Amino acid sequence: MTIRNAFLGVTGLALLGALVATPALSQQPLELKIMAPANPGGGWDQTARAMQQALVTAGIAKSAQVTNVGGAGGAVGIAQFVNTAKGDGNQLMVNGFVMVGALAMNKSPVTLEQVTPIARLTEEIQVVVVPASSPIKNAKDLAAALKADIAKATFAGGSAGGIDHIMAALLADAAGADPKKVNYVPFSGGGESLAAILGGKVTAGISGYSEYEGQIKAGKLRAIGISAPERRPGIDVPTFKEQGVDLVLTNWRSVVAAPGITAEQKKVLGDAVERMVKSPAWQDILKQKGWDDAYLGGDAFADFLKKETVRVTDVLKSIGLVKS
Amino acid sequence: MDTFAALANGMAVALQPMNLLFALIGVFLGTAVGVLPGIGPALTVALLLPVTYKLDPGGSLIMFAGIYYGGMYGGSTTAILINAPGESASMATALEGNKMAKAGRGGPALATAAIGSFVAGTLATIGLAFVAPWLVDLAVMFGPEDYFALMCVAFVTVSATFGNSPVRGLTSLFIGLTLGLVGIDKLTGQPRLAFGVPELLDGVEVTTLAVGLFAIGEALYVASRRHQVEEKIEAVRGSLWMTKEDWKRSWKAWLRGFGFGFPIGALPAGGAEIPTFLSYSTEKRLTKHPEDFGKGAIEGVAGPEAANNASAAGTLVPLLTLGLPTSATAAMMLAGFQQYGLNPGPLLFAEKPDLVWGLIASLFIANLMLLVLNLPLVGLWVRLLTIPQAWLYAGILVFATMGTIAVKPSVVELTMLACFGVLGFLMRRYDFPIAPVVVGLILGPMAESQLRRALSISLGDPMILLQSPISATLLAIALIALVAPFILKNMSRFGAKED
Amino acid sequence: MTATDRSGEGKRGIDRAGVVIALALAAVAAVLVVDALRIQANVVYGLGPEAMPIVVAIGLGLLAVGNFVNALRGGDAVPEAMDFRPVMLILAGLAMMIAIIGLGGGFIPAMTVLFAATATAFGRRSVITDLVIGFVIGTVIYLAFSKLLTLSLPAGPLEQLF
Repeated sequence: MTIRNAFLGVTGLALLGALVATPALSQQPLELKIMAPANPGGGWDQTARAMQQALVTAGIAKSAQVTNVGGAGGAVGIAQFVNTAKGDGNQLMVNGFVMVGALAMNKSPVTLEQVTPIARLTEEIQVVVVPASSPIKNAKDLAAALKADIAKATFAGGSAGGIDHIMAALLADAAGADPKKVNYVPFSGGGESLAAILGGKVTAGISGYSEYEGQIKAGKLRAIGISAPERRPGIDVPTFKEQGVDLVLTNWRSVVAAPGITAEQKKVLGDAVERMVKSPAWQDILKQKGWDDAYLGGDAFADFLKKETVRVTDVLKSIGLVKS
Repeated sequence: MDTFAALANGMAVALQPMNLLFALIGVFLGTAVGVLPGIGPALTVALLLPVTYKLDPGGSLIMFAGIYYGGMYGGSTTAILINAPGESASMATALEGNKMAKAGRGGPALATAAIGSFVAGTLATIGLAFVAPWLVDLAVMFGPEDYFALMCVAFVTVSATFGNSPVRGLTSLFIGLTLGLVGIDKLTGQPRLAFGVPELLDGVEVTTLAVGLFAIGEALYVASRRHQVEEKIEAVRGSLWMTKEDWKRSWKAWLRGFGFGFPIGALPAGGAEIPTFLSYSTEKRLTKHPEDFGKGAIEGVAGPEAANNASAAGTLVPLLTLGLPTSATAAMMLAGFQQYGLNPGPLLFAEKPDLVWGLIASLFIANLMLLVLNLPLVGLWVRLLTIPQAWLYAGILVFATMGTIAVKPSVVELTMLACFGVLGFLMRRYDFPIAPVVVGLILGPMAESQLRRALSISLGDPMILLQSPISATLLAIALIALVAPFILKNMSRFGAKED
Repeated sequence: MTATDRSGEGKRGIDRAGVVIALALAAVAAVLVVDALRIQANVVYGLGPEAMPIVVAIGLGLLAVGNFVNALRGGDAVPEAMDFRPVMLILAGLAMMIAIIGLGGGFIPAMTVLFAATATAFGRRSVITDLVIGFVIGTVIYLAFSKLLTLSLPAGPLEQLF
């Protein structure tokens, strides 16, 4: 009896709240929900919170709420997003390169084809380094070492199947060695792998450029090449491409919307994100966090996403992480 | 003597009244958020970082240091008071600390934790200022095989948490090792024991296991015996403050805790857990009051807490000298530094000495503020235990689940938490020790990854474990630590068979 | 850890709980082996992902034998009778909390129910008071998280009000 009364009271309150909270339909200010498919603190979470800050500061959205659904490289988050946000034009999800591989490796039933692509936001270039004392001086030496004995050319980097691993496989492939045989040693976190490289435990290391920047500038590590299509201002390291190794790979982060939204809803979200990217608030955040602007909107991004998915899946198959 | 001048300069900045106030606010906020179980220092710093954006760099930095230390201390407060460690590093603190709290000695337990943290933190900060560049060269020499050997040393010490039956202790440990296997294999990306459940791919969260086993398991156990045993929790029995005896038993444990925590924390893959375990087992072996262990021995709180704090300062060594963030907390600190234009790395000490010394001075001040804020609060915290038992345990359950809900609000995670609660209850009922399960979950995956990395680099040759001098030495220590107690026990067998 | 002085009182027969524990350990070991054999990883150098599960399974197998032998000897201690009702009440509270979160009922109702169930298990008889206390605690925590820390806890119809 008493418990039932309490529940009745709660329901009554909720109904009242629903009435009060109904927004005025005429103006439709954006009230966004942004999902970060990761636990608080990581890269996707920071991207989501940066978007929240920029969207609200620039007055593009009335409110933006970040939710975290972590797990399995984003597989848990995207599954929930696709199931619960279907047709909702106020929901966004942050994702990125890593999710492409994670979905393939975890045999996720939900794929990136199911969501509505909105825009690519930022990217980070990758770098290959060796200890300063290493006999390897440039990309050619590295390719030669890989070709001579692929087992002895050990790479340190981040998690198995992540972008660093994929880059090691692409390097081996470009050098004419068997990518399946790459001796890639995954470490947890850039700190641990950097120590292994500085200590000379491995032949080379792969990571995002910013992570090794200090060491490279101090001369403790030698940068062999960066994975960008062309040289970057302020980075005195040649690209792999100009050294004759066909390797272009960037760690991008993007934002997608729910499946099944109307073309109109998609346009509203696309415009909002475009305005956000151009706002001074967003530019300030990029500077503060050291992220590179890589805005790519609309159909161009949808195309890009498709191509990356195919490429990553192929590489993961070639190193045996995804069964074909 | 440049170091002294630079440090004095930094102190002068940090000691301005406004900055002292910021430090106090930072410590307060950090403690308030850090006491939430499941929310460790890393998340505390992540959540509160935006608060510091609004201040000028100096004030912001010092508030940041305060949040950091406050978050660390908050974790041990819940471990002691309600047996819910906020992070894996305060697990060892919960073992004896909660027993002390139940026996009415929560005051001294909290005090020795606070003072021990202060002493070890201060020593470690001095260490950071003077030996960092030298220590870091040594740290980088550690390869995967050496870490594996270090884990072996840590494994040997686990027996300190076994209680009176080796079979039961090992059973607990292997339950933990089994749980450690759940999830994606770090080296090949293959799922193990996940049974197709995506939430299991990330493995078992240490805090979920610890909170389930310790806090929820305990609540169930006490509830099941409510009619047989009248559990009387007295908030204060004897002195609220540490007695002379407590000081005598604590100070050596603090120093030894610092001795374990700082160097191991400085290792890029050292972490905070191993030094706390090592400290706990060392205190248990060296104590003059072995009968107190398991009932609330103050050394068992003093040592691990000091080790925990010293290792946190230790992680700053690779962070500041190499730019290596070696823990989640350090990664958050790196994010914090970057907003002041500080890019930790080999050139930091040379390029931005004022900021580095300002930071180190801030750490000193924040550490002091922690003591100033928390010692008077000890009495207040302990009063929490005077809440009627029914409300106390109901509150503990709400608090314990809240941490999990905040970080991972999934049904699978909450179900795991409840299952671990039942496991903890059954283990208590059938007299299996709890701590080895958590130790197994933490150390198992670390040891496995390091060994497999070493063998991958050596192309499968196990001799790499003996060829590295560091690894060979550590393995020898592990062997001696394993064999020596048996020999000693056999020699004194007849005298000890009395309980 | 929780050993009390109760040895010597129980009969020195077979310890049934001990046998169950031994069987459970053996079953877990079997699951580990089956799961490990299923993995097909491409490991060229060093140990594969199946090595550690096998090692743990062997250890569990030995411990199953050890626990079984102990159980046949009569075990170390016979646990005293326990009170099922409060344990079941707390577990029911946890189950309802999980169900409420899972079904989108929100954080505050979940905490309200959990608090009241646990308090009742510990002998309190005024359910309404405890529901109110749980509700207030839940609301305060919810507001602190969402407003001060911008960490969103699960929101149901009730939480939408804030």
